[in-house]
Amino acid sequence: MEKQILIGGAAGQGSAKTALLIGKIFTGLGYYVFNYRDYPSLIKGGHNFNVLKVSDKPVYSHEKSYDIIFALDQETIRLHGKKLNEEGFVLGDKNLKGDNKVSIDLSSILEKIGAPRKAGNDILIGALFKFFGLPLEPVLKTARKEFKKNVEIIEKAIKEGYNIVDQKTELQKSQAQEKYFLTGNEAIASGAIASGLDIYIAYPITPATPVLHILASKQIENNFMVVQPENEIAVINAALGAGYAGAMSMVGTSGAGFALMTEAISLQGISEVPLVLYLSQRTGPATGVPTYSSQGDLKFAVNAGHGEFPHVVVAPGDPKECFYRTIEAFYLANKYRIISMILGDKHVGESNYTFDEFEEPEIKPSRFLTTPSKDYKNYLITENGVSPRSVPGQNAKVKATSYEHNEYGYTTEDEKEVKKMNDKRFKKIKFIKEEINKMKPVSVYGKGKNLIIGWGSTKGAILDAMKKLENFRFLQISYICPFPKEIVKKEIENSNEIILIENNATGLLGDIIAEQTGKIIEKKILKYDSRVFTSEEIINEVGKVLK
Amino acid sequence: MKIEDLTTGQKITWCPGCTDFGILSGVKQAIVNLVNNNKIDLNKIVGVSGVGCYDKIYDYININFFHTLHGRTLPTVFGIKIGNPELTVIGFGGDGATYAEGIAHFVHSCRYNVDATFIVFNNQVFSLTTGQATPASEKGLITPSTPLGTGEKPINPLTLALTCGGGFVARGFALDIPHLTKLIEEAITHKGFSFIDILQPCISYHNTTQFLREHIYKLEEVNHNSGNYEEAMKKSLEWDYCYDGKPKIPIGVFYKTEKPTYEEHWPQLKTWHKIERKPDFRKIIEEYKS
Repeated sequence: MEKQILIGGAAGQGSAKTALLIGKIFTGLGYYVFNYRDYPSLIKGGHNFNVLKVSDKPVYSHEKSYDIIFALDQETIRLHGKKLNEEGFVLGDKNLKGDNKVSIDLSSILEKIGAPRKAGNDILIGALFKFFGLPLEPVLKTARKEFKKNVEIIEKAIKEGYNIVDQKTELQKSQAQEKYFLTGNEAIASGAIASGLDIYIAYPITPATPVLHILASKQIENNFMVVQPENEIAVINAALGAGYAGAMSMVGTSGAGFALMTEAISLQGISEVPLVLYLSQRTGPATGVPTYSSQGDLKFAVNAGHGEFPHVVVAPGDPKECFYRTIEAFYLANKYRIISMILGDKHVGESNYTFDEFEEPEIKPSRFLTTPSKDYKNYLITENGVSPRSVPGQNAKVKATSYEHNEYGYTTEDEKEVKKMNDKRFKKIKFIKEEINKMKPVSVYGKGKNLIIGWGSTKGAILDAMKKLENFRFLQISYICPFPKEIVKKEIENSNEIILIENNATGLLGDIIAEQTGKIIEKKILKYDSRVFTSEEIINEVGKVLK
Repeated sequence: MKIEDLTTGQKITWCPGCTDFGILSGVKQAIVNLVNNNKIDLNKIVGVSGVGCYDKIYDYININFFHTLHGRTLPTVFGIKIGNPELTVIGFGGDGATYAEGIAHFVHSCRYNVDATFIVFNNQVFSLTTGQATPASEKGLITPSTPLGTGEKPINPLTLALTCGGGFVARGFALDIPHLTKLIEEAITHKGFSFIDILQPCISYHNTTQFLREHIYKLEEVNHNSGNYEEAMKKSLEWDYCYDGKPKIPIGVFYKTEKPTYEEHWPQLKTWHKIERKPDFRKIIEEYKS
């Protein structure tokens, strides 16, 4: 069973909030929900919509045809009305015009119960759950949990909506178990807290801003600090300063802000002050299409920073992965004194996904700090290239620097010393790779001779498409740096047809695969209209590519 | 402790006769005096520099030090203070780094008011890159990158700092080390963001020694009231950083007032590395359970 519900309205009418509540009610009832969010870059007006896919089985993406259009304005019907499924209908106020419409006289109900205009959404929510024949009490329970204010009036509105319509269909029963329902940004913020975050520094930018907001709201309760300085250059330099002083630091941004940070990414490389960076991609170049998704920054992230130095780039494919990958990112950054970049995007960052369980992470937070001897060398050459980390304020001098240096950190331009320090830094890669090999750097889903390769947020639509694609495996590459080339090469060699799927114009992962494995993937499905894949699009495109 | 205790044994590569030597000894002497008077803890002093001739001070002074990027001293100073507010942080910048590349950071650091010191080696040229003009160069300065002479008047760092909310604004002279040493001591002990612009002849590219010696006078000799903002503004405007006419060039503390520091705003701010965190994984993730 799958139901697609579109909720649309002008910005400010509450379509996103309504969709979130509906999603929470369904997941509270044990259903699996995927919640896609689509909004232009404006505050009031325009057209925002969400698409919910609801199922009794796990779902990870949205579609473009709907069983119900939950319309908060006429524009929603005008834009999406044609995409109703055969038995689909529009739900909305009686003032809205459209075919196949269930109309509710919101104004008179609102007047009757003395509720403000916004409670109209709650009346429609009540009606929606009645259509599906679902019980009222769980709906009210979730609404009570979600809204702290005006709970009584909201409950009244939901009840009115529930009572005024008749059941239309019977939904397949769900597993009764409660679910986790969260976005990638919520998961990354949670992962950072679970990693022992001390300071998060960021400058506002869509679509990374939610992490800034979430962490800012939790800073007192969790005893960490969230700071917004003058620009992204200050953000990352301050984070390195804080890291040098001993704080577990993280920064977050999107492409345009990341561009400003690259100078200091290079400083991280040579100074070896640990840092975690979240890069939430949106559509570029430049301002591009700022509230829409893209996978266009893959090679930019991999190559960010002048000069050569080891670093980690990990690309989670859903919020659950966002949580655990963030914990891994903190661990690797602090243990190996490198930068770990978490490469997400608007799609995984702002869509809600449903999960049954979150297992206790195996990695426990650590600063990997040592007590220095009097003769402390911040860049001591060791077997694995990692110099024991210490911080100022103790009985030793900690010298950190952007200049090439000897083991103490004193400046050098001596050719032997320069090479020695490069060798020291690059020695880490082998050990990081060994660690990453235990962290599932790639995942293979399904069985078959043919192979789809992808990374990051395309995972959801690909997995949903796999339900209908025969003889296909899906190789999801999660660690991009260091690249798990042996496994990827083997998977490619063991497959007949190989199709690369990416949300960008040129197939950036394909380039990295070619560079790392020598394998060139000819068949590509690329989407670069600033929108994300639906599973149906993938199924159609796979058919075309294989013709 | 003695001044020799701050020596690192690294080979000094400044030009022979460079005025940086004087500033280095002033910084060292100020640290020695403050440590010996139990005003600061040597182990907790952290230097920060960007890139320029002055940045070599990193190698020549035996304290904790983070040598960062050109123009990025100040955000790093800021980061270190929120990373561990117990540290005594002294940032160093050049006039190019501070008033060109890092000007935004300078403006905001005056606003933020972290309890740190910031010392600018202002020789009014980019020396390490062979003598190009900076925003602090006097109007008309002919350099390899400005063969027609610079067209703009220089920035006045003191006026700018005062406008942006700087709570300790001072000017030193690289050729008067005892005076400079006192200024640095006062800046370090001042609670809040303390800024010293040091006038410094560059013997290779911008030798202003004669002019500065002739026109400089000390504010303390004219009973300047450093607690008065308007007076400070007036004094800051007395010289426009140009080399014509017979200006009077004041040095000393222009303005000094104590205001709440950035650190004081954050109830949760602490010396993070001393905290052992045990995050409750269940509690964190349970929030998203429907």
